[in-house]
Amino acid sequence: MFLRLALAAFVAAASHASPAVTIAAPAAAACAAPYLIDKTLPNGARWQMCWEMRTIEGLTLRKVVYTPRGGSPTSVLRSAALAQIHVPYDSGEPRYHDIGSLGEAAFALTSGDCPGGERRAEKVCVLDRARGHAHLKDGYGDPAERRSRQGRELVVLAAYQVGWYTYVSEFVFGDDGSITPRLGATGSLAGTVTTPRHGWPIGVGHRHFEESHSHNVFWRMDFDVHGDARDVVEQYDFSGDRTKKRTMRRTPFTRETRAVNQRMRWWRVVDPRALNADRHPMSWEINNSDSAEYRGPADEAFTRADLYVTQYRACERLATQNPSPRCRRSVDKYAGRERLTDPVLWVNVGFHHVARDEDADPMPIHWQGFRITPRDVTAKNPTP
Amino acid sequence: MRRVVVLAASAVAVTGLAACVLLLPGDGAPGGAGAAQAGGAARAAAPGPADPLTTEEIRRAAALATAGMRSHLAAGRAQLLYVERDDAKDGEGARRAEAYVYDYARDELTVRTVDLGQGRVVREVTDRGVQPPPSRQEEAHAAELLLRDPRFGDGVRSAYRRAAGRELGSAADLALRGLIHSAPRGACARHRCLRLFVRLPDGTFLDTSRIVVDLSAKKVHTLEW
Repeated sequence: MFLRLALAAFVAAASHASPAVTIAAPAAAACAAPYLIDKTLPNGARWQMCWEMRTIEGLTLRKVVYTPRGGSPTSVLRSAALAQIHVPYDSGEPRYHDIGSLGEAAFALTSGDCPGGERRAEKVCVLDRARGHAHLKDGYGDPAERRSRQGRELVVLAAYQVGWYTYVSEFVFGDDGSITPRLGATGSLAGTVTTPRHGWPIGVGHRHFEESHSHNVFWRMDFDVHGDARDVVEQYDFSGDRTKKRTMRRTPFTRETRAVNQRMRWWRVVDPRALNADRHPMSWEINNSDSAEYRGPADEAFTRADLYVTQYRACERLATQNPSPRCRRSVDKYAGRERLTDPVLWVNVGFHHVARDEDADPMPIHWQGFRITPRDVTAKNPTP
Repeated sequence: MRRVVVLAASAVAVTGLAACVLLLPGDGAPGGAGAAQAGGAARAAAPGPADPLTTEEIRRAAALATAGMRSHLAAGRAQLLYVERDDAKDGEGARRAEAYVYDYARDELTVRTVDLGQGRVVREVTDRGVQPPPSRQEEAHAAELLLRDPRFGDGVRSAYRRAAGRELGSAADLALRGLIHSAPRGACARHRCLRLFVRLPDGTFLDTSRIVVDLSAKKVHTLEW
C-alpha cells in the first residue's frame, strides 16, 4: 500500500499529465458563487480563482489555478493582493501611504464600468476582452500554413476612491497563461501647489505648479507553483557589457532577499519537481515592471528594492504600515536572512507622475504594474 | 509592551456579549467591507473555506471578541475597528475571524482571533505602535474633532457653506477618507493619528495636507514643513 502511494506521488510529481489531486481545481472546492471565478477563454485556456474584498487589502485573489487547453489544472498563486501604495511628493512632503481600509474605499461599479462583464457584489467586475494578436505567422502563400489568432484575457477589477484619486486595481489573466497585476490612477489631481522646481504649470499661465509625486505600488504574491510545496525563487542575469556575447547566470535564492531591477534581469518561481512533458520544471517568470525605481530616505528603506522575497508569515500583510501586532512593520524588515521554504514575493513598481494640462479633469488613467508569464508550464504553445 | 494571550473564553463571557454587540458604536458595520459584500450574498449553506466571512459570522466574531469590553466600548475608550477573515495558512479550512480593537487610552492594538466553529477566542495579541488603517467610524470621529477645533472648525464650515450653498449640519455631511499618519517623533509616534481627505458637495477637497487628527489625544495637530 505504501509503495503504491509513494509511486502515485512520484508519478504526480513527475508528469504534467497527472498532477496531484490537491492541485486540481482547489478554487472550486474552496469557494462558491459569487466568490468563485471560473472562466474558460475561447482558446480553451481556463482560469479559476476565488475573490475576497478584504477590509484592509481590498480585492484579494486566492487559489488561482490555470488550465492550459488540453492540459491539467495547475495552481499558480495562493493569494495576490495590493500591499501598499506609497505616495511621496517631490518637495519632500506630504508622504502618504494610501492603503487605508481599501475594502471600505471600494465603490459600486456600473455596467458601464464593467462592459460586457459580470458585477459581483456590486464592487468587483469580472470581464473578458480582446488583447490583440496572440500570434501571427505568414503561410508564404499557403493559407493552410498561415497562423493568426486574436487573444483574449480575463480581467478581475475593483475601484477605490482614496481622496481625490481613484485607483483601479486590475488582475489580468491572459489566454496565453500570463498574469498582469496593474494599478491605474485616475480621478483628480491633488491640486497641491508648489514651486517650479517640484511641479509643472497647469491651468492658465505660470501660476499653478502642480506638485510632482510618485506612486510606489507594492503587490504581495504568494505563489503555489503546482501545489503548495517546493517553490524556489531564482534570479537570472546575463553578463556581458559592450561585448558580443551574453552569458546567463542563475542565482537561486535560498534565503530571504532584496533584489533590484537591472537590464535583462528577471526572476522566476519554480517547482523543480513539477515537470512538463519535456521534463522541464514548471515556473512563473516575473518581468517587465518598467518601474521608475523610486529610492527614498533611510526611514523609507522599503523603497530601496524592487523585489523582496520573504519566508511566509501570516502576519506580514502590507509592505509598509503593517497592521499586525507583534510583527515587523515593513517589507524591508521582513526580508532578513531566514531560509526560504515557502517564499512570498513582494513586487514594488513605481510611477513618477509629473502632471500635465491634460490631467485636469477627470485625470486620464495612468497604469503601472508587472507581468507574470508561464515558463515551461506547458511543453509547447498550447493553442497553435 | 507586547502581550500574547491564548484564551479559552468561558461560556459566560460568550453569552455576555450577545446583547453587547447591539451596543457597539455604529453597530452594524463592524465588519466593514466584508459585511457589505456578504450582505447581499448570505446563503443558507455553510460558507466554503475561502469564502469571505458572512454578515452573520462577522456579527458573531465581533460579539465573541468584544465580550467583557462593554464599558470601554461604550465610553469610547476602545473601539472595534473591523473584523477580517483570518487568512493564516495554519488555520486553513477553519472559519476564523480576526477582530481589531484599538484602546485609545493605552494606545494599544489588540487582535483577537475567533474560531467560529468552536465559538471562542483562541488567540489574543496586543502591541503598541501598530496602526492598522482607520475604520469608517474613526474617520467620522476625526471629522468631528476637526469641526470642534477652534482653529479649523469655522473654516471647514464656511468652505462647506460656499460649496453647498447651505449650512453644514454635522460631520456626516462630509465625504471622508482617512489614512494613518505615523511619525518617528512627536505625538503621532505613539498616538493613533489620521489624515483626512474631505470632499465638499461641489467636488472640491479641503486642503488638509498639513492637518493631522490625533484620536488618542483628541486633538488636531498641524504639520510643519
